[in-house]
Amino acid sequence: MESKTFWECNKAYILTALGLGVVGFVFVGFLMIMDWGYLIQFTLHAMMGDTSGVMSAPTSELEQMVNAAFGPAYNTVAPEIIRASNERQEYIWYVFFAEIMIFVFLYVKNGRITPTITRPDDMVQVLTPFQRTVIWLNIGMIMMLVVTGFNITWSLRSEGGDIPRLLREFHELTGLAWISIWLIFTVIAAKDLKGWRKNTTFRHILPGSFKPSKRGIWFFYAAMGAGLCFSGAMIITLHPSSLTHADVIQFRRVLLYLHFGASVLIMFFILDFVYASAVSVKGYLKGLWSGEYPREYLEQVAPDVLEDLKKAGRV
Amino acid sequence: MSRMKFYCDDYRCIDCNGCVVACKEAHEIPVGVNRRRVITINEGIEGKQKSLSVACMHCSDAPCQKVCPTDCFYIRTDGIVLHDKDKCIGCGYCLYACPFGAPQFGHEGIFGVKGVMDKCTFCAGGPDETLSESEFEHYGQNRIAEGKIPMCASMCSTKALVAGDAAEVDKIYEYRTAKRGANTSLKPYGWEAYNNGK
Ligand code: HEM
Ligand code: SF4
Ligand code: SF4
Repeated sequence: MESKTFWECNKAYILTALGLGVVGFVFVGFLMIMDWGYLIQFTLHAMMGDTSGVMSAPTSELEQMVNAAFGPAYNTVAPEIIRASNERQEYIWYVFFAEIMIFVFLYVKNGRITPTITRPDDMVQVLTPFQRTVIWLNIGMIMMLVVTGFNITWSLRSEGGDIPRLLREFHELTGLAWISIWLIFTVIAAKDLKGWRKNTTFRHILPGSFKPSKRGIWFFYAAMGAGLCFSGAMIITLHPSSLTHADVIQFRRVLLYLHFGASVLIMFFILDFVYASAVSVKGYLKGLWSGEYPREYLEQVAPDVLEDLKKAGRV
Repeated sequence: MSRMKFYCDDYRCIDCNGCVVACKEAHEIPVGVNRRRVITINEGIEGKQKSLSVACMHCSDAPCQKVCPTDCFYIRTDGIVLHDKDKCIGCGYCLYACPFGAPQFGHEGIFGVKGVMDKCTFCAGGPDETLSESEFEHYGQNRIAEGKIPMCASMCSTKALVAGDAAEVDKIYEYRTAKRGANTSLKPYGWEAYNNGK
């Protein structure tokens, strides 16, 4: 009985973790040529404050010179970047295609809920100005980050030039600004972790009861965001000069890896959110802007939100 | 086919940084960007200190060219690796790929974010019209078009740094090692390690 409840309550997390585990295993085991042993050792050294990447004392003058000039173990991380950079422009489509196909499958299987609204004037104030500000800032910045970020990945199509360069520069600036939004989500996710299945602080951003499966999206969103904010901000601040090159470059190679990986993964959760809020049910975009939703819409699509508002005495 | 290469003789380099200054001066390179730098190991340890001047090595199979997402690198028939600053988006991926840390980035973009990449051109300018003002502004002098060797090598006081056709550079190298004779190893240092597959 106990275990059944546990499975039911945490199905979403377990399935997501399993799915990511399988994808990760195939990716790491079969598609990558990076030296993972070195990477793990390097990460441990970096956490102790040594980012030089030198794992063992050099045994020859040549090795010593190579370490001093170029940073060591160039081949362990770089082949991935070299190979991936142009090939991923060709192949990353397949990852997005697969991600989209999952939602197409769900759509075909589950169809779409379209609420019938007979009393369009019976409106309920759902979102406060603060909530709308956070939501729109998040939507705007994420769209900007996705477009400007993948603008870098697919530069072979744009062939570079001033506009793609400006977009890339805006990626860095928007990324730094987005850290504040990510922090809000992370604080909420951290608070929710304490209450786990009982209470959700997410309703401060989006009202509703947020069943564990629904909260899963936001936990992963916060986690992937952490990877993106950490690696992005570090890439911006840790810029090697010609003198500090050897100490910094290996670490930055790993950071770029983390950033690209997290950006592809966060796309899944962004698509999931778009699917849940606008495809699987007919969305009500106007409400996101005005904060008001027809009562019937809430009754049919989001009764938990209505319940939540009643409890708070706002309806 | 010729292949233009640099060679820095570690027996001769005295860490004077003259090549670094000459390069910056010749191409009017901004502060924070060094197309060339001198690396020293075992500094102060007698008999063990060694220095080497490093810039873009104009790799025959250049990793930077492979990684650049805008494909803005091109390799001239004489082997010099150049790039087009009008295409470059300043993503920095060439810096991740280059084993020598050659690509450089100033912070002249909006709000001081990093701008387009700059690197050693072997004093061969860039894709703009040869010896034009815009070529100088973007890439610096085009000494190769004027029939001269790169500035760094031409002013190196000990002639540790040599530049030119790989076959000619090789002759200088062979001559020097032969002349050093029994006093020093005939092999370049690191040769054993190289042969041991290290
Ligand atoms: C949803 C959030 C984000 C997404 C989807 C995203 C996506 C991307 C993508 C796709 C790339 C190109 C990777 C490649 O092709 O190798 C990239 C690069 C980069 N991103 Fe992000 N990113 C996000 C957030 C951030 C944040 C928060 C920051 C900074 C704090 C940031 C800073 C950077 C930097 C510095 C680069 C490397 C290119 C450069 O130096 O300009 N990104 N990002
Ligand atoms: S920039 Fe680096 S990788 Fe490219 S040719 Fe020069 S040394 Fe080789
Ligand atoms: S910084 Fe410029 S030259 Fe270097 S990889 Fe990016 S687009 Fe290519």
